[in-house]
Amino acid sequence: MRLTDHIHQSLSNLWKKKLRTFLTTAGVVIGIGALFSMLAFGKGMQKNITDRFARFDLFRYVVVFGPSEAPRNPRRHRIDRRSPITAPPLDDARLAEIAQIPGVQTVVPEIRFPALIRRNGNERFTLVQALPPEIVTTGLVVFRAGAPYTHDDPNAVIISESLIDDLDFADPQDALGKPLTVATLTVDAGSLLNPLNITGALAGDTLPFAQKEYVFTIVGVAERMDVGMVGPLRSDVFVTPEASRRMKKIALTNIRDLFKSPAAAQSYPAAGIRLTSADKLESVKAVVESWGYRTFALADEIEEIETAFILMDMFLLAIGMIAIVVACLGIVNTMVMATLERYREIGIMKAVGARDSDVRMIFFFESGAIGFLGGLFGVVLGWLTSLFINEIVNAILVSKGVPPTKYFTFPLWLWLASIAFAILVSLVAGLYPAIRAAKTDPIKALRHD
Amino acid sequence: MNQTAAEPLIDIRDLTRVYPAAVPVRALDGLTLAVSEGMFLGVSGSSGSGKSTLLNILGGLDTPTGGSVTVAGRRISDLGPDELALYRRKQVGMVFQSFNLIGAYTALENVALPLLFAGVGRAERNRRAAEALRAVGLEARRTHRPAELSGGEQQRVAIARALINNPKVLLADEPTGNLDTATSAQILQTLADLNAAGLTVIMISHEEPLLRQFAHAVIRLRDGRIVEHETIRTVP
Repeated sequence: MRLTDHIHQSLSNLWKKKLRTFLTTAGVVIGIGALFSMLAFGKGMQKNITDRFARFDLFRYVVVFGPSEAPRNPRRHRIDRRSPITAPPLDDARLAEIAQIPGVQTVVPEIRFPALIRRNGNERFTLVQALPPEIVTTGLVVFRAGAPYTHDDPNAVIISESLIDDLDFADPQDALGKPLTVATLTVDAGSLLNPLNITGALAGDTLPFAQKEYVFTIVGVAERMDVGMVGPLRSDVFVTPEASRRMKKIALTNIRDLFKSPAAAQSYPAAGIRLTSADKLESVKAVVESWGYRTFALADEIEEIETAFILMDMFLLAIGMIAIVVACLGIVNTMVMATLERYREIGIMKAVGARDSDVRMIFFFESGAIGFLGGLFGVVLGWLTSLFINEIVNAILVSKGVPPTKYFTFPLWLWLASIAFAILVSLVAGLYPAIRAAKTDPIKALRHD
Repeated sequence: MNQTAAEPLIDIRDLTRVYPAAVPVRALDGLTLAVSEGMFLGVSGSSGSGKSTLLNILGGLDTPTGGSVTVAGRRISDLGPDELALYRRKQVGMVFQSFNLIGAYTALENVALPLLFAGVGRAERNRRAAEALRAVGLEARRTHRPAELSGGEQQRVAIARALINNPKVLLADEPTGNLDTATSAQILQTLADLNAAGLTVIMISHEEPLLRQFAHAVIRLRDGRIVEHETIRTVP
């Protein structure tokens, strides 16, 4: 038989049993639709995260940790746990040396200090970060509203959109130009002059601290960034280094900082290195690590991230496969019924010269056609369902201030692979009925009523 | 092996067919027969005498358990399943008592069915099937399904289907069994005309007078053996 005849024959036979064909195909449509949607969701999540990394250029950053700031989990951060922390303090001199390493574009020390931010009676504790305008303008900070500050703008502050609700703003645009009070912690020299207070302080009953308030103007609202560990953004309130320098404050980010030696107290807990290009990563890391520092780069985590995505895909695939298995049982049932109903017809075909393989292929093509149609309509159903779910989720989340996102991705290979998979599983499901039909004894079949 | 002028078209020697059962059934028991080209052979006998088994083996639907069958110089008793399918497709045409047409197909599609498996293109299939229907006087009924045709018309469609591949032998198993007398006569006349045109016909029937009317020879079977071989007229 010719290929075109097989196709015509299979579609013609399926058309003769419209309702049964529709119901069986509907099973495949639902199965493939579910599978397609789930994989599109997995790929969408993967794309969102990797796009985010790429958008923020995070593959071009290396974080170098000072002696007391090395990550606590060496295995997770691929650091040799046997190597001792022998690094010298990460001070300005060392940062200047790092900046000279070929491939380094900028080195940004991590300067963070505890503060209370206040507005209209709302108050929140945070760590304010001094972030140079050069880094703000690299694209690392994505603005929901406003614009980057400059070195000439010492009273400017950029806040994260995560603070919009806490500070009682209607939306990011509403925050622009509004004052924000930043209260730092300082040593209360006046209280130490009072002998009663000295006694209390020495006993540890009272702490000789006071607050110093500074009023800033909000010039920008940045997109929430949940990848702070990777890049230089490790806060939700940013001021210029100049503003940071003029503020009286105790720059403690950790209670351990109180135990630092005077020399170490002049150093930074960490610094972000921005590379000239991502391919300089290994060479820069090698130099920095040879000085005894520990580093962290997102690129080192890619393998683990990919493994996580594969596991997620497998999980979603497994859920989708349940629907596919049910659809397969439907195909087996339909095709077995077809072989029984067309028992005599099979005998006639053999009597006029059909080979076993011809009969087998007739039933194979029919199950394959069910798979093809089911796959074709299944991906369309999955696509429409995904778009609908995306709209619903966005409608809910946008009302909560989350920007609209495409949670599903539909690469071409996913469309083609889903249809191919539908055909494949349908052929597998049609295997037994086709073999059974091919083995029909024509003499018995011709006698059958 | 090719057939020579001296050899019969069909050469059956010591043909045996035993069906396995608790008590094995010996449907054919050492049957030997030669059928020359252009012959109209009638086969009669009571139920269970082995007539249909003989026809099924000649038609390549069944295989013997002993002996040999040679058709047109080819020993079909030794053929495998695929070769037998090709033999059924090209060398023989079969007509059955119950017509055995596919109910969902039109007359044209039923007639074209052997060509479908022969890999003939759709346009050529339809052309040849229409021609075959015209030959049996049913060109106007080409789009009708079997249920819309009379018994005689269905049998003529079946004959057209059997002839579509220009076989060497036409095997007819009680082709008039489900037909009234007048229609039976028409069908037999059609077979006789085909035989007159040179086609070898082997036909089973309970009605010996009917066979005698058209056949060159009639054999009578009993218990899988030929008990009587009567030559009625010579093959031209």
